[in-house]
Amino acid sequence: MEIPYVVTPRKDTGLFNSKIAIWLFLASEVMLFGGLFSGYVFLRIGADYPWPERTLPVLPGLLNTFILIASSVTVVFAWASLKLRKWVQFQIFMAITVICALVFMGFKSLEYYVKFHHQAARLVDYTMVEGHIDHEKEAGHGEGHDEHDASLVTDAKGEEIEMNVQRFQPETISFDLLRVYEPWVEDMLAEASAAGASITLADEINLNREGESDSAKQFAAGEALSLELLKKIAKAQTSNHAFNQSQRTEYLREAWDLKWDDVKSNHLLGEAAFVAAFPAGSELEPAERAKAFKRWKAGMRANFATDVTIESVKVSGGEAVPVLLDGKKFAEIERPEATAAVFKVAPGAEPLNLRFKNHDVLTDYRDGLTSISLRDGTTLAGKQGNSEMVYHYVDGIDFQYLVMQAEKKGIEPLVAIENSWIIKNNPEIAEIWEMHQQGVRLLADELSKDGREPTHKDRYRMGWQEIAYYTRLIDEGKGVEDVEIDPSAKTPPREKMVMTEQFMGPDYSRHHFPHLAIPRAEVAMDSKFTPKWNTYYAIYFTVTGLHGLHVIGGAIVLGYYLLFGRKMYLSNPEWLANRVEVGGLFWHFVDLVWIFAFPIFYLM
Amino acid sequence: MSAHADSHDHHHEPGFLRKYVFSTDHKWIGIQYGVTAGIFLLFGFYLMMVMRWSIAFPHEPLPEWMSWMFTDTWKSRWLQDGKVTGETYNMFGAMHGTIMVFLGVVPLGFGAFGNYVTPLQIGAPDMAFPKLNMMSYWIYLAGGLVMCCSFFLESGAAKSGWTNYSPLAGIADGQVVNQWLAGQTQWLLGLVLLITSSLLGSVNFITTIINLRARGLTWMRMPFFVWAMLVTGFLLLLAFPPLEAAGIMQLMDRVSGSSFFMPSGLVTKAEGLLEISGGGSPLLYQHLFWFLGHPEVYVLLLPAIACVAEIIPANTRKPLWGYKSMVYGVLVLGFLSFIVWAHHMYMTGMGPAVSTWFQTTTVLISVPSVILLTSLIISLWQGSIRFTPAMIWACAFLPMFGIGGLTGLPLAFNLVGLHLHDTYYVIGHFHYVVAPGILFGLFAGVYHWYPKITGRHLSNFLAHLHFWPSLVCMNLIFFPMLTQGMSGFHRRWYNGGDAYLAKVPDSPNIFGSTVAEHIDLNILMSYAAWCMALAQLPFLINLVISKFVGKKVTSDNPWNATTLEWATPTPPGHGNFLTEPVVYRGPYEYSRPDHDEDYLPQWIEPKRTSPKPDEKPAESPAH
Amino acid sequence: MADSAEDIKKAFRLYILVGIVLFAGTLATVAVATVPWLDVGKHGFDTADLVLGLLIAATKASLVAAIFMHLNHEKPWVYWLIGMGAFFGIAMAALIFLAKFSPIHYDQFNDGGQGATTAVISD
Repeated sequence: MEIPYVVTPRKDTGLFNSKIAIWLFLASEVMLFGGLFSGYVFLRIGADYPWPERTLPVLPGLLNTFILIASSVTVVFAWASLKLRKWVQFQIFMAITVICALVFMGFKSLEYYVKFHHQAARLVDYTMVEGHIDHEKEAGHGEGHDEHDASLVTDAKGEEIEMNVQRFQPETISFDLLRVYEPWVEDMLAEASAAGASITLADEINLNREGESDSAKQFAAGEALSLELLKKIAKAQTSNHAFNQSQRTEYLREAWDLKWDDVKSNHLLGEAAFVAAFPAGSELEPAERAKAFKRWKAGMRANFATDVTIESVKVSGGEAVPVLLDGKKFAEIERPEATAAVFKVAPGAEPLNLRFKNHDVLTDYRDGLTSISLRDGTTLAGKQGNSEMVYHYVDGIDFQYLVMQAEKKGIEPLVAIENSWIIKNNPEIAEIWEMHQQGVRLLADELSKDGREPTHKDRYRMGWQEIAYYTRLIDEGKGVEDVEIDPSAKTPPREKMVMTEQFMGPDYSRHHFPHLAIPRAEVAMDSKFTPKWNTYYAIYFTVTGLHGLHVIGGAIVLGYYLLFGRKMYLSNPEWLANRVEVGGLFWHFVDLVWIFAFPIFYLM
Repeated sequence: MSAHADSHDHHHEPGFLRKYVFSTDHKWIGIQYGVTAGIFLLFGFYLMMVMRWSIAFPHEPLPEWMSWMFTDTWKSRWLQDGKVTGETYNMFGAMHGTIMVFLGVVPLGFGAFGNYVTPLQIGAPDMAFPKLNMMSYWIYLAGGLVMCCSFFLESGAAKSGWTNYSPLAGIADGQVVNQWLAGQTQWLLGLVLLITSSLLGSVNFITTIINLRARGLTWMRMPFFVWAMLVTGFLLLLAFPPLEAAGIMQLMDRVSGSSFFMPSGLVTKAEGLLEISGGGSPLLYQHLFWFLGHPEVYVLLLPAIACVAEIIPANTRKPLWGYKSMVYGVLVLGFLSFIVWAHHMYMTGMGPAVSTWFQTTTVLISVPSVILLTSLIISLWQGSIRFTPAMIWACAFLPMFGIGGLTGLPLAFNLVGLHLHDTYYVIGHFHYVVAPGILFGLFAGVYHWYPKITGRHLSNFLAHLHFWPSLVCMNLIFFPMLTQGMSGFHRRWYNGGDAYLAKVPDSPNIFGSTVAEHIDLNILMSYAAWCMALAQLPFLINLVISKFVGKKVTSDNPWNATTLEWATPTPPGHGNFLTEPVVYRGPYEYSRPDHDEDYLPQWIEPKRTSPKPDEKPAESPAH
Repeated sequence: MADSAEDIKKAFRLYILVGIVLFAGTLATVAVATVPWLDVGKHGFDTADLVLGLLIAATKASLVAAIFMHLNHEKPWVYWLIGMGAFFGIAMAALIFLAKFSPIHYDQFNDGGQGATTAVISD
C-alpha cells in the first residue's frame, strides 16, 4: 500500500497531506513568535529604564518590508504559473522571490554590522554615551586624538586595539591550573615577547612525595611560561588530586565502618542510651515519647558526622581512634597538590602592560587596585595601568535614564544633568548641551502653538544629528543664540541625514564629533549595540534574527524547487505545484511576521 | 480511491543502513524510540539512586557498587572525599528530571508507542511523512546525546533544576570562559533539538490521524488510543514553541550577555555587581516555561492512559465504558491544559484576579481527568477479567494514578501553595502520577503489544517478578514523601534535611524537631529505590530473551482484540496490511449479544443473509 | 487545490492589487509614524500611535492571510488548525498580562511590590 493523499486531496477533509502539515506547522510558529512578541510587551512594560523609541534608522527596515511584500507577490505568482503549467514563468517568479530573500538578508546583515560596531556605555551617574571606540590613532607614543595621518593603535600581533580595556602591569601572575583559558595565555606570551619581558615560574613546584623523584611532577623555578608547561603541571596536579581523593574516600569509608561498629556494639542508638541522655523522656506520654526518641536518634545520627573524620573517629568513651589502612594514616600517603601556579614577571625595556576586556575582569573596578582576577581564575598582582575608555567619536549622549533616576529622588532634571560627570568634565560637550537646551526651548515654543510639549527624548537625548549640528555651529564660530530649528519638523535642531547615512550611520568625514576619554571608574557598564546593551536590543535582535533564519530556511526550500524541480515537473507537476504552494504558505507567514515586526521595532 | 502517488515503490530490498539505522518505517522508528528512551530511563534512574544515597546518608561516601563505573579523575572533581556534594546533587537532580521527562517518558509514550501503534490502529500503511519521522528520531537522539555528554564538560551538566529558572540558570556555570562549553548552555541547545524533534513528530501524527484513516474509520469509531495520541500531538505542537522562545532567550542571556530574564541589580559572590544591562524579568521565563510545563504533564499522561484504555476492554471482554465521554473528556482536558499553568507559580506574587482564574481552571481540569479514570474503573465492572501481565499493570495503574491525581487536587489552591510549594509533597504527588502511574501504564503497553512486535509472548513468571516488587517499592518510595512534604521537607535538599535537624530531643527549634521526626523515612525510601532497580532486572531479561525463547503466538490476534493493529501479519511487514483494511464498526465490540464469539473485530465484514434469487448481491464495500 | 485555470488567471490581477495595497499600507505606516503633521494624539509616541500602527499592520496581515494564503476559500479543517494557534496564542499573551497587572500590593516595597529589587545570589 502506498501512502495516499500525497497529491490528490482526501474527499472528506478536502486536503492533501502536506497542506494539513504546513498549517499545523504555522500554528506552532504562531505560538513561537507569539511567545516572543509577548516577551517584547512584557519587557517593554516592565522596563526599569527609558525604552528606546524610534532608535533604528527607518529606511533599511522600510526597504526590507517592500522587498518582502514583493517576494510574497512573486511567490504566489510562481505557484499560479505552475498550476497553469507555465514552467519558464514559474522559474522567473521563483527566482525573483529567492533574490528578494537574499537582498533582504543583505540589508539585514548590513544593519547588524553597523550596530555591532557601534559602542555604548552607561556611566555611573546613568548618562549614556554612544559612539565609536575604534579608529583610535597613535600620536607619538601611546594613544591619542584623531590625527588623520597617524596610524592606528595596535597590539603586539598588529591587530587594532579598541580603547575599551583594563590595563594592568603585573608583577606576579597566578594561573588556576584546571580552568586557565588558553587564548589569554597566548596573548600574554605575545605581549611579553613584544615588550621584551619574561614570565617565569616564581617558585619550584614539586608534586612528588618525599622520597620520590618523578621528573614529570617536578618543575623548576625560573622555567618560562608556556602552555605546555601549564598543561604538564595540571596533569601532575590532576593525577595527584585523583589519587588523594580516592584514598580519602577509602579512609572515610573505613572511618564510618569503625563508627558503625562502635554504634552497634555499644547500642548507641538504643533505648538505654536514650534514657541515659534524656531522662525527662520517661515522663512523657507514650506517643510523645516515641516522637522524642525518633528526634533523639536523628540528632544522634547527625552528630556522628562530626565524630567521623579521615584522621580519626571519636567512639563511645570519648577516645579518638586513628583511621588506618594497611597500617598507615592518610597523611603518610597523601600526595602534594598545587591548584595554582604562580609566575614572576621580569619587565623588559618597558613595563609589561597587559590588556583585558572589561567583561573578562571579575574584580569590580576601583582606582588603585593592586590585584585583579580574571574570569578563568587567573589572578594578577601589580600596578593598574591606564584603563580609560576612549571614544574616538561621541555621536550620542542620552540623559533620559539619568533624568529618570533623578525624578525618582525628587531632583530637578536639569540640575542633575548639570552635575553629571560628562557636563562637569568636558567643556565641549557642556557647550553642546547649552545649545541643545536652547534648541529645546525653541521646540517647546513651536509645539505649544498646538498645545503640545516636547518629549523626554526631545529634551534629554542628543542623537548624532543634533550633535553634528551643534558642532557645526561651534566650528563656524557661532554660539547658543544662533541655534535654529525647522518649525515643520517638530524635532530639536538636526543635521539632515544623507541616504547612505540611513544605512551606515553618520559619515564621520562629513561631521565633527567630540573625542572623549572616560575614566574607567565612571563607567558602570559598556557594550556594543548588541543584545547585551539593553532588553530592547535583546528582543530586537532575537526576533529579527530568528525571523532572518526563517527567511534563509524558506529561501533554501524555494530555491531547491527552483533549481531541482524540473524532474518533478516533468513526472508529476501537480505534486510540485502542491509543494510550491506549501513552501509559499511558509513564505507568506515569514512576511506576516515581518509586517508586525517592522512597525513594532522600527517605528514605536 | 487510493491516489496513485509516485515514487514510494520500494520493490528493491533496502540495505542494512536503510533498513535498521535510517529506517523510515514507523514500526522500526517506534522500536528505536523505545529502546533509546529505555536506556535514558535507566540512566535517569541511576542518577536518582545516587541522589537517594546523598539524601539518606549525606555524610558517608558513595559505596563502591554505585561509583565503580567512574574514573578517579571524574570522582575527584565531583565528589568530596567520596561524598556527594551539593553541586553534584543539583546536577544529578536537574538532569534526572530533564532526562526522565524529555528523554524518557515522552519519547517512550509518544515516540515509541504512538509511532508503532497509531498507523496500525487507523489502518494506514505508514505515517504521512516517513522521512520526517526518521528525522524526528535522529534529532531526538542528537538532543539527548548533547545533554548527556555535557556531564563530561569541565562545568558538568546543567544544575539549576529541570525547570531551569533564571536568573540562576542564566549565570550558573558562569566561570566557564567560552560559554558554549558550559553544561547549562548545552542543556539549552539539547532542548532546542528536542523541541524540534517533537514538533516534527506532532505534525506527522496529527496529519496522519486526520487524513490517513482507513475507509469506514469515522472519528467516533477510532480507538481511544488514537484520540489520546491526537490530543497529545496538539499539546506538543502548540505548547512547546513558547518554551523554545524562552530557551532561545535564556541562551542569549548566557552567550550574548542579554538580560531577558535578569533583573537589575543582580550581585554574585564571584563577580559582585553583574555587568549586564538588567531590566529583564525572571517571571517572564516562568510564564513561558510553565506554558509548556503544564501541557507537558498531559503529554506524559495521555499515552499511558491510551495504553490502559486498549488493554482493559481486551481483557475484560467488555466495551470501554463511557467511550464518548472519554473522547469529549480528553478533548476538554487538552483545551483546559493550556490555561492552567500558573498554578505552578502561586508563590510569585500573583494578585487575587489572576490566581482566581488559575485556581478555577485547575479545579475544572480535574473533571475530565476524573471522567477518564472513572470510566476506566467502571469498565472493569462485571467484566470477565483475564489477568494477563498487561492487565495486571493496567489495573495497578488505576489506583496509583488515582492517588497521584487526588494528591494533586489540594495543590490547585494557592492557599495550599503557601504551605506545600516546593516541598516533598509536590514531589510525591507528581512522582505518583508519573512513576507508579504513567510508567505502569507504559509497561502494560509493552506486555500487551510485544507479541505483535516480535511474534512471541513475554514470560509470565518474569512479568510477575517485575510487577510485585515494583508495586511495593513504588509505594514505599513515594508515599512517605507526602508525609515529609506536609511536615515541611523542602525540595532539592541534598542532605535530606540534615542541615535543619534539631540536634537535641527537646530543642526549641520546632521545624528541626519536625524534620527529625520524619528524616528516618529517607533511609526506607532510599532502600526501596535501590530495590526498585533490582526489580527491573527481570523485565530487561524478559525483553531480551523472550524474543528468542518466548512462547510463540498462535495467531495474529493472540489477545482476541478488536482493533485494527491485530489485523496485520505478525510482525507487520512494510505497508502493514496485506489488503487495504475497511472498518465496519466501533473499536470495542466485545460480548455482543447477537454474536457467538465474545469479540467482533472492526475489520470483519458484517454477515449478510444469503440474497433472495431476484435480488442483486450486495455490493462489496472493498475497493 | 483544485482551482481551475480560469480562476487562477483572475487571481493574478487580485494578487497584484493586494500587493499594491500592501505597499501603500507600508508607506502609510511610516508616514503616520514619521511625518510630523500626521502625528495623532500627543507629540511623540503614545497610545494613539500604537493603536493606529497595529491596526494598519493587522489589516495588511489579514490581506496576506486571506488572499495570498488562500484563507478566504480554504477547508474547515484549516480554519480549525490555524484558529487553534491564534486562540491559544492570544490566551497565552492575555493571561501573562493579567498576571503582570494583577500583582499583590505589598507596601513594604517602596514601589508597592511592582518593580525590581536588588537580588543577591551566592554563586
